[in-house]
Amino acid sequence: MLSKIPKWNLVLVVVLIAEIIVFGLMNPRFWNISILLNSFNDFVGIAIIGFFVTFVVITGGIDISGGSIIGLTSVVLGLLSQILGLNIWLAVLLAILVGGLCGLLNGVLIAYGNVQAMVITLGGMLLYSGVAVVLVGVSGVSAYEGIAGFSEQFSKLAYGKVLGIPHSVILFLIMFAIAYILLHLTRFGRFIYLTGINQNAADYSGIDTRKIITSTYVLSGLSAGVAGVMLTSYLGSARADFGSEYLMPILTVVVLGGTLITGGKGGVVGTALASIIVGFLQVGLQMGGMSTQYIGLATGLLLIISVAFLGISSDFKSNFKKIVVPKKINWR
Amino acid sequence: MSKIKSITAKREFRTFLFLIVLFVVVGIVNTDFLSINNIANSLKSSLLYIVLAVGMTFVLLTGNIDISVGGVLGLSAAVSGMILRDGGSFLVAIAVAILIGAVIGLINGLGVTKLKISSFIMTLGMLEITRVVQVIYTDGQWVENLPIEFKQLSQLSFMGMNVLSIIVVVSVILVHLYLSRSRRGRYFAAIGDNEDGAVLLGIPVERYKTLSFVISSVCASLAGLIFATQIGFISTTAGVGIEMTVIAAAVLGGVSLSGGVGSVIGAGIGAIIMISINSALVYMKVPAYWNDAISGSLLIIIVVSDALIARNASKQAKKERLNTRVLQEEVRESYAK
Repeated sequence: MLSKIPKWNLVLVVVLIAEIIVFGLMNPRFWNISILLNSFNDFVGIAIIGFFVTFVVITGGIDISGGSIIGLTSVVLGLLSQILGLNIWLAVLLAILVGGLCGLLNGVLIAYGNVQAMVITLGGMLLYSGVAVVLVGVSGVSAYEGIAGFSEQFSKLAYGKVLGIPHSVILFLIMFAIAYILLHLTRFGRFIYLTGINQNAADYSGIDTRKIITSTYVLSGLSAGVAGVMLTSYLGSARADFGSEYLMPILTVVVLGGTLITGGKGGVVGTALASIIVGFLQVGLQMGGMSTQYIGLATGLLLIISVAFLGISSDFKSNFKKIVVPKKINWR
Repeated sequence: MSKIKSITAKREFRTFLFLIVLFVVVGIVNTDFLSINNIANSLKSSLLYIVLAVGMTFVLLTGNIDISVGGVLGLSAAVSGMILRDGGSFLVAIAVAILIGAVIGLINGLGVTKLKISSFIMTLGMLEITRVVQVIYTDGQWVENLPIEFKQLSQLSFMGMNVLSIIVVVSVILVHLYLSRSRRGRYFAAIGDNEDGAVLLGIPVERYKTLSFVISSVCASLAGLIFATQIGFISTTAGVGIEMTVIAAAVLGGVSLSGGVGSVIGAGIGAIIMISINSALVYMKVPAYWNDAISGSLLIIIVVSDALIARNASKQAKKERLNTRVLQEEVRESYAK
């Protein structure tokens, strides 16, 4: 049973448990379940984008535009509901769709235009945050205060609880379930892996890899839209610069989760565990009285060390096997 | 004649053409934009980006990427700024900045070549680390009150031209000659074009990859010095997000992110374009918030059309090859008869 679980995920679980114990010893308040559950609000956006960026990375691409799609959806949501006076839930739906459209643009250009994912999503990153800033500028809203005045109902989205469990935790679980089922239990998921392992082979076996690749970017855009809505509800206003500092943490959780940046290998379980580790790390460091400046240092080091470890461990393993396990020799 | 053709066929020429078109179009709307003064100013304000883009080109040529330049810029500007503020000599400040760049570049390079970390991840982590180190080192304060003499360095002029601009332009040309004419310089592009081939040719691939990161980081710390003299103070957010602008500039200038293709001149022109768009908007009386949207869509349009042109060209070449083969066979058949 244990052997079925990938080793890296096991490592992540151990790290997570160790983290909870260490931070708890530093400050016993950390063991308070409700504080831990509430802290999900701070990183649920990173986590849900991370799930679907994992898809993108498995196909061999990369998506760095997620952070700016958050800002764009936030502004679109604010404009539609507060300035144009649309029904808030309709506005939410449209805002998420805008996120999906951004992803679609990325995906089509990358898959059908044969341009590098990094370049397109870099351009997309500038473009989407630029459009968000333009929308704010054209509508004449103060860029610093953002669009505020959302209804009680809407702020319940982030602050509400079901059976004592915050909505953000539930959203985390739902998005995780969707991502897990899509990636690990459906044909679509297998196609994603095959595309990442060998795109030509996937093409020859009759998979429309271009559609597969495009769809991963659309999913990543949609998830960024969801994250944008959630963040708007959590912070109570819509601003264009929301999510601009998300680029680094999103990639950190994906890579820390054991997904190879070159594609073909990885999974959302690792991403989920990694996002909880990074999220708790921030909460724990803050509680431990560490100033917020050091958090970046911790995540940066975590990123480099984990990737170095992943890289070395696979090299090390193969070398180790070569040396220690002798080749089977037929004596006769 | 063939020489002219070979120049016009180059990717840098198209970028340059675009720059001219940009200036002419904006100049039609507002003739002030075409004044010598403004052109010199555009060049002056893009110096920092040109230096960064030159360093980035080295890394991109070998097929890697360096996201950490913004952090290196901020850190080295802050450290050397503090030395200058506390009465240190210029030479010490410059040497310290270059040393910081070299050390960070070395760490990046060793991480990528020895630990086999993907360059994107390695430098992304390094970006975060350098930012934090900068904040810790400066206690989160702005570095202000740089000596007047240091600030005046950016204003020095020689025969009516800004000395700093002359130095940067001349060194870009020298670096271009090094990369395109010298044996060792061409190693960088060779590594990015075909790494296994480069290994088989006996090129010390790992050493040159590490070197490219060192060069990029040293360029970033030089850019940090330029930043310090031009702006006159160093905020804690100095250089935030600059790496994306620089990569975009290099890509605009025809440097391929998959390595092996590109030149520092192209990257430099790309940097001028990225910065000129800002001032062009001001001259066209467009609100400044259009900035990112325009440069983003420009980047996407140029890159996509470039890819389409390249694909069409390769298709055409394939068709021609096929046609000649069919022709040959027909000729052979007619001989057989």
